[in-house]
Order: sequence, then C-alpha cells, then structure tokens
Amino acid sequence: MNLRRVGALTRRIVEGMRRDHRSMALIVVVPIVVIGLLAWVIREQETIDVRLAVVNEAGAAAQPLADAIGDEAVAADMELVTPAAETRDGVVDCLEAETCDAGVVIPSDYATQIAADASPTIEIVTLGVAAGTEGSTAERVARVVASAFTSFLPPGVPVPSVEASTVYGTADGDVVTSFAPVFVAYFGYFFVFILTGVSFLRERLGGTLERLLATPISRAEIVSGYNTGFGIFAALQVALLLTFTLMSVQVPAIGPLPSFSIGLGVPTAGSPVLAFTIALLLALGAVSLGIFLSTFARTELQVIQFIPLVIVPQGLLGGIFWPVDALPPILQPIAMLLPVTHAVDALRSVMIAGADLATRTVQVDMLYLVLVAAFFVVLASRTIRREVA
Amino acid sequence: MASDVLTTGSPAAAAAGPEPAIVAAGLRKTFGPINAVDGIDLELAPGRIYGLLGPNGSGKTTLIRLLVGLAHPTSGEARVLGQPMPSRAGLGRIGYMTQSDGIYGELSVWENIRFFAALYGVRDQATLEEALSVVDLLDRRSTIVNDLSGGLRRRLSLACALVHRPAILFLDEPTVGIDPALRIQFWEHFRRLSREGVTLLVSSHVMDEADRCDELLLMQAGRVIARGTGDELRAAAGATTLEEVFLQAAGVDAPAPVGDGAPSTTPPGTGPPGAAP
Repeated sequence: MNLRRVGALTRRIVEGMRRDHRSMALIVVVPIVVIGLLAWVIREQETIDVRLAVVNEAGAAAQPLADAIGDEAVAADMELVTPAAETRDGVVDCLEAETCDAGVVIPSDYATQIAADASPTIEIVTLGVAAGTEGSTAERVARVVASAFTSFLPPGVPVPSVEASTVYGTADGDVVTSFAPVFVAYFGYFFVFILTGVSFLRERLGGTLERLLATPISRAEIVSGYNTGFGIFAALQVALLLTFTLMSVQVPAIGPLPSFSIGLGVPTAGSPVLAFTIALLLALGAVSLGIFLSTFARTELQVIQFIPLVIVPQGLLGGIFWPVDALPPILQPIAMLLPVTHAVDALRSVMIAGADLATRTVQVDMLYLVLVAAFFVVLASRTIRREVA
Repeated sequence: MASDVLTTGSPAAAAAGPEPAIVAAGLRKTFGPINAVDGIDLELAPGRIYGLLGPNGSGKTTLIRLLVGLAHPTSGEARVLGQPMPSRAGLGRIGYMTQSDGIYGELSVWENIRFFAALYGVRDQATLEEALSVVDLLDRRSTIVNDLSGGLRRRLSLACALVHRPAILFLDEPTVGIDPALRIQFWEHFRRLSREGVTLLVSSHVMDEADRCDELLLMQAGRVIARGTGDELRAAAGATTLEEVFLQAAGVDAPAPVGDGAPSTTPPGTGPPGAAP
C-alpha cells in the first residue's frame, strides 16, 4: 500500500467534486432542506377539524351520557352536528353526505346491558376511506367518549388520573426527536452511495480506470483512495446534518416575516461525536458498496436503479419507521443483516438513551458496521480487475 | 499475395541487442468464440518505433492490452522488459495511451497530469511542465478538460502517458482527431524518444504515419501476417503504396501459414530471411 498514490487519488476526487457544484449542493443543501421540511411538516401539523354527530338510540336512559359526550367533544374543539335522523343510519347518511366526519352511536340496548351489569358497546363510526386521518379522528373521539364516561363514576370513587411518562427522552419530545438522528445516518448513506456508484462507473466508462490499471496503483489503493476521498465528503455531510439537527437558533421576526428557528433543536442525551462516528461508519460502507455495484451497471441510470433495490428496503426494514421487533418474523433476521439497522439502533441508543462507548449494544453495532465496510472493501477490490473488457 | 508478404523477414530486428523489450510467445486471447489474438509470436527490440497496422477488429487493441497486462492471455505468454505480464511490477516503466482519452473531464489540464504523474511517483514540477510543453498545452494548464476540444484532449492524454518517462510506450491510435501540423510534431517527439532508447508500439490507420515507423506489423484476424519496413511490405506485396498492402490484407480471408502450421510470423533473428519475390 503506497500512501502517496492513495493520497493522489484522494486529492483527485476532492478536486473533481469541488468543481461539481451540483454534487456539492447534493451533499450540503438537499438533505438539510429535506430534513427541515420533514420536521416542519411533523411539528406544525394542523389539527384537522372534526364534525361529530352523536346519536342516542337508547332514549332517555342514555341521554345524560349523550349530553356528556357532546360537552366533552365541544371542549375538545370539535363541532357538533345533528344528523337528520337520530339513528345509526342517520349517522351513515350524514357521513356519506360529508356533513360530518365521525359519529358516536349509543345503541338501543344500552339500558338493558347496564341493568344486566354487562359492558355496553358504544360505536364510533367513520367512513373508512382515508385510513390515516380517520384513524386519528376515531382516536380523538374515543378519548372524548372515555372522558365522558368518567363523569358517570359513582360518587366517592376518585377519578383516576393518567399520566404519560418516559424512561428516556422527554415527555414533550415529538416524532422529530426520534426520526431526525436516524435520518442523518440514512441520508449520508444514500448520498454517498449515489456519488461513489456514479463516479466509479464514470471511471469505468471514461477509460480512466483502464488507464489507472496500467499504472502501478493497486486495486486496494484505488479502493482506499475512494474511501478517503468520498469519506471526506461523507464526513462533511454527516457533520453538517448533525449540527443542523442538534442546534436551534431562533431568528426573531423581522417586518412581515414571522420568527423562525434554524436547526431542529433535537436534544441529544449522548455524545454528538459518537453519533457522528456511527453515521460516518455507515456512510463509509456505502463507498465500497457503490464501487461494487457499479460493476453491474452499464449506464448511470442503472446505478440509480439500484436505489429501490438496495437503499429503499434498508429504509423500510432498518428500524427507522417501525421497530425491527415488530416486523414479520421472516423479515427480522434479514433486517438484522442490514447495516442501516445497526446504525439506527446505535444512534437511538446514543442520542435518546444517552449510551456511550462502554455500552455493549453500541459496541456490537459499531463493530458490525466496521465489518460490513471491510467486507465491501474486499469485495470492491476484487471486482476491479486489471481485465476490464 | 499474402503468403509472399508473410515470409518477409526482419533484418533490423535480427541485428538488435540480446534483450528484446517486448516478447510474445504463442499469445492467444479468446472472447467466447472469437479469437481476438490468435497465436502471436513477437520479439521487439528496444529503442525502435513499431507500427501496428490492421483493419478494424483485427486485434490491435487486444494485443496492446495483453502486452500492458490489462488482459490475461487465454494461452501463451507476454513479457515486457523481461517481466511476464500481467504484473504490476513493470507498469512503472510502461506508458499507455488508450484509444479513448482516459482523462478526467472535471479536472484541469494541470490536475490531470499531476494526478497521473503522482501515480508513478513523479512530483517534480519541471517534469510535468515538460510533458505539457511537448504537446503544446503548457499555456492551457488551468483550463478544465471538458472545455477543451477533442484534439486538445488527445494531446493531454498523450502527455499523461509519457510524463513518467517510460521505457516503453504503447500508443493506441494516438493521432486520431489531431491536425496534421501537430501530428508531425507528435512524430518528431516519438522519434526523439526512440533515439533516447524508448520503445514505441503505435497502432494507427493513417498510412503516411506508418512510413515513419522503423518497422511495421500488419495484423489481420488476430495474427501478425507480415512484418518489415514500409518498403519491404510494399515490395513483398508488389504494391506501390502501403494503402494497397493494407487493403490486400483486409481483403484476404485468412493467411495461409507457411510450413507446418507454425505461428504466422517468423520470429525475428531466428527465422530465415524472407523469400523475396
């Protein structure tokens, strides 16, 4: 291994990238815009207005309950709607006419069930065409019904209070807090893969690889040079992303512009440097992966075609959105093979639970990332043949 | 007639020193059913300019790639400067100019030459400047390669191949897209290099270039079917121009080997002098 040759290759990559303004923008600006937008969308989500129809099919016996539900609904910022008929069908008509968003039906056997000491069923009806919004609407209505019930507890029974608490993080932490750290790593991985894959393919197509191989540089030196060169940009990107995620600078309102903050201000419990190292290890694995996969591509488009095959599944299985334990049993061992899974696990441990290098799971995850990177370095070196044609 | 051309000997090579710069012995390379290089025996003496002629697909580039060590021979052996190829050991003394430019478009002229020089361990600024001045690019050193014309890129490609002062230069169609004035300049430089002891193997389609070579190798269907100076080839083929020799070679189906189906060329120095017509 001749370090001067590795250095020459590193320098060449840096010089080339510096000229390529579009790629530099890809590294620096795009992920910040995307993460910033994501945080904006999640944090500033408008509460969807709910128009609620409450019908009582049980008559006078259940009227106090119906009234209590109505009161709680109004207290929860919902709008009460009176359907044309005080029946379940009336609610359905009103849902179909889109004059209400959800209905609460107190069934006609309510009184008899209570008398028989059975648990009555209160029905919450939605149309069932938009799973996401209706789910959250139904959930809010369910909370309204539940709190209406507490007012019917016999006198003397204290109303239990329910309080949410968390072991790690803060109770007021939002989804961004758990998403942003892992997105930092995932974006780094994604961009470094595209950059090296396309750049090495150009090397093959442009005849420069042929020429490189006719010089004394070895295959290991080529892969090392690529890792160092693109490692510099991966480090730059991960550092920028992490800074953007952790810091929060409030910009005061000026004239017509409202006040806003730069950065997500996500709190980290552990060391930012350790988080940086984990994300960088993952990104370095993408350098050699890009070189390796470029062997199987003949055009730049074909490199891009590896994204849905290699990068997107890791996003789905890697524990970013759903915990690996919640995946179907067949997919779980596959997920455990993916580097993204281990990076996500280690990053959450560090940034949310405050784990450090002494934590066993973090050690194992980082060791795995190193092994994956090393594995692809070897694989990439093997695919670079002196014989290219 | 092909068989006449075939037996043309090579007195110049026979007189060369004991250690040939390039040796091929039974060199063969097949891609599936295609014999790109079909059993070539060669000994090329140091310090001479060899021209590699032949129609498209006759195996010129594959032969060069085998000699540079970019391809493994299916059978046979290639040795360059005494080093069996492919091997990384001898590459520091070999220069290779590919058919495609093989330079980095997003880098400047200077960054390109500096990169390739560094791979050979050459960092001395004066050496780099000299290589650029040979191809007349010294005043464009800070230009980005993508902004250069095709001919200028070709020049840079050549400069990158000779910046480390190799003992052997393989040039795959070096003068394609280069204007006549510069082509003359190129050849003057090739001649200067050969006087300094550099061996050059130049593939070309341009016939007036062929006459500037010390010796020509005429390839057809993966074999060297004739070898000699331009005059010798013309005389052997009964042609007045090299163009005719070339067309004759391209026209024949397969060269009928002389004698016991031996390799298509007479190894220089060992074979009998050609049976002149």
